[in-house]
Amino acid sequence: MDKILAKKDFPEWLKKLKAYRVYAPRKQDDVWNYEPVSGPDNVQLADVMTAVPAKKIVFPQREYFFEFRETDDNGTKLTELLPEDNPVVVFGVRPCEGKAVTLTDKVFSGEFEDPYYWKRRNATTLVGLACVNPPSPNCFCTSVNGSPHSKEGLDILLTDLGETFYAEALTKKGEKLIHEGQKLFKDPKPEDKKKAEKIQVEAEKKVRRKLNRIENVPLKLKGMFDSPLWDEESMSCIRCGICTYLCPTCHCFDMNDEVETTTPLQGKRVRTWDTCQFPDFTMHSSGHNPRPEKSSRLRQRINHKFQYFVEIWQNYQCTGCGRCISLCPVGIDIIKVVEKVRDYGS
Amino acid sequence: MGHNVYLPKLARIVEIKEEVSGVRPIKTFRTNFLDGDGFLYRCGQCAMLSVFGRGEVMISISSSPLVKDYLQFSVLKMGRVTSALHDMEVGGVLGIRGPYGNSFPLDEWKGKNIIFAGGGIGLAPMWGLVHMTLGNKKDYGDLTLIYGSRTSKDIVFKEELEELKKRMPVHLSIDVPEPGWSEFVGFVAQNVLDKKLSPHNAIAITCGPPIMIKTVIKALKDLKFEDEQIYTTVENKMKCGIGKCGRCNIGRHYVCKDGPVYSWAELKKLPQEY
Ligand code: SF4
Ligand code: FES
Repeated sequence: MDKILAKKDFPEWLKKLKAYRVYAPRKQDDVWNYEPVSGPDNVQLADVMTAVPAKKIVFPQREYFFEFRETDDNGTKLTELLPEDNPVVVFGVRPCEGKAVTLTDKVFSGEFEDPYYWKRRNATTLVGLACVNPPSPNCFCTSVNGSPHSKEGLDILLTDLGETFYAEALTKKGEKLIHEGQKLFKDPKPEDKKKAEKIQVEAEKKVRRKLNRIENVPLKLKGMFDSPLWDEESMSCIRCGICTYLCPTCHCFDMNDEVETTTPLQGKRVRTWDTCQFPDFTMHSSGHNPRPEKSSRLRQRINHKFQYFVEIWQNYQCTGCGRCISLCPVGIDIIKVVEKVRDYGS
Repeated sequence: MGHNVYLPKLARIVEIKEEVSGVRPIKTFRTNFLDGDGFLYRCGQCAMLSVFGRGEVMISISSSPLVKDYLQFSVLKMGRVTSALHDMEVGGVLGIRGPYGNSFPLDEWKGKNIIFAGGGIGLAPMWGLVHMTLGNKKDYGDLTLIYGSRTSKDIVFKEELEELKKRMPVHLSIDVPEPGWSEFVGFVAQNVLDKKLSPHNAIAITCGPPIMIKTVIKALKDLKFEDEQIYTTVENKMKCGIGKCGRCNIGRHYVCKDGPVYSWAELKKLPQEY
């Protein structure tokens, strides 16, 4: 279902979304992030790259799993703390983030479906905004099977036509959201569609960085486990973990018990993001660590994204947002590392 | 949406046995689920134990699936959660999630001679298997157990091992001589060589400290066992137990879900990340 929404009517649409908790990018201290929207006039949809990706809405940095409480009879009571069902809508999601959500979807599905993730995911409508001007100098979505107008994982894709948005509803959730706006949405004219398509095609050309010819990288990596490359490339790493925390596709987490009172014992089990870039991530309680060196951890990050994930899910675990490049304090550049893998020994 | 995969079932500790005391203590815990049922599991599988307030730890199930009235875990005191577990008493309540992981391919082993070679706490992941095969003895050839510990005080399942000797060959060893010790002195690998085990129609399973596993596999290779005839279990740091937290992988394998049981032929092909 394709529609047209006049930009001036956008706040009116928001006003009708009373049942939803609305998130959109907001700038604070020079940093963009998805934040709850305070009022319908406070949303400006533009080509911006948030620091924290939209994954935080469906997979928050911290969330409680359940509460445990000691009872009088030497027993224990557990209370499940599932997220609420209240619908959420996120505006301004970048296409590369929508695609990333389809990857975390895979991880959190299967035999052991993750109820916390899916409760949030099912309640969330993702309204993507096609990138007219790629928001980061390090965008490289087009090299990893994506594009600035990719629809994957999104419920609606908006394309900025100047005075209007071209709105494509991609799922039932998306249709419902447009339906909430009712008469604000008009049927597009053929030239609107043409214009949207033109903008989209041109945007692709504006994606500045490229990671070409990587089809053989998954196979190549297999033979490079003991390569000196990992030492060289990880030398400058200060193991801050930002490349993974702020990656829209990274899903590693930790689980811990937070004790509130000890007698009687009461507390909560909490899940928090974690990263393979920390040395204690894999450290056994004996002190033995299968990945003690920075080099083994960079190797893990690259191998997971460009070999293991590909083997399991037939997809790179990277959608080309370029955050890990832009935000790395020492300038480790995933594009350059993967290029070196590609060209290694040739 | 079905059952919450992160929510443990509650179980009460009904029996605790101090297997080994000293600086590396081992205790065996028997548990009953509060709701009366349990779960069905296969030999080699593990479960995530919760000590509420401390966290979770993945432990192999050391009872055999033939036992219906309790689940058993033998635990070496090592980190935060296992220490807390060692402080618990009979009547205490634990959380249990699972069972997790793959299992020993018992169906493929029908008719074969089975050799168990364990060291230290490494007898625990095989203990259910020993009893399972013994319980279905007509399905298998000869069963042989080789087990070593540092000293005679470090032997787990001591009385049970004595009982077991009446039903199958059991070869014990300790690392250094002790007065009154009549069995083998030396490492498990040396004992394996000493017993001249035949690879003919045999499967050998070895579990224990990494260095022991390495040397036992080498000894088995010296005895002309093929890689496909050798099995072991792998341990890695775990949190979720279900292939989501990304912590326990060896290459594309998540040990929690795709392991812990590997043949040497399979393990050899994976990167050394354990
Ligand atoms: S990587 Fe592509 S989709 Fe993502 S922000 Fe950049 S241009 Fe847009
Ligand atoms: S323990 Fe979480 S992936 Fe294996």
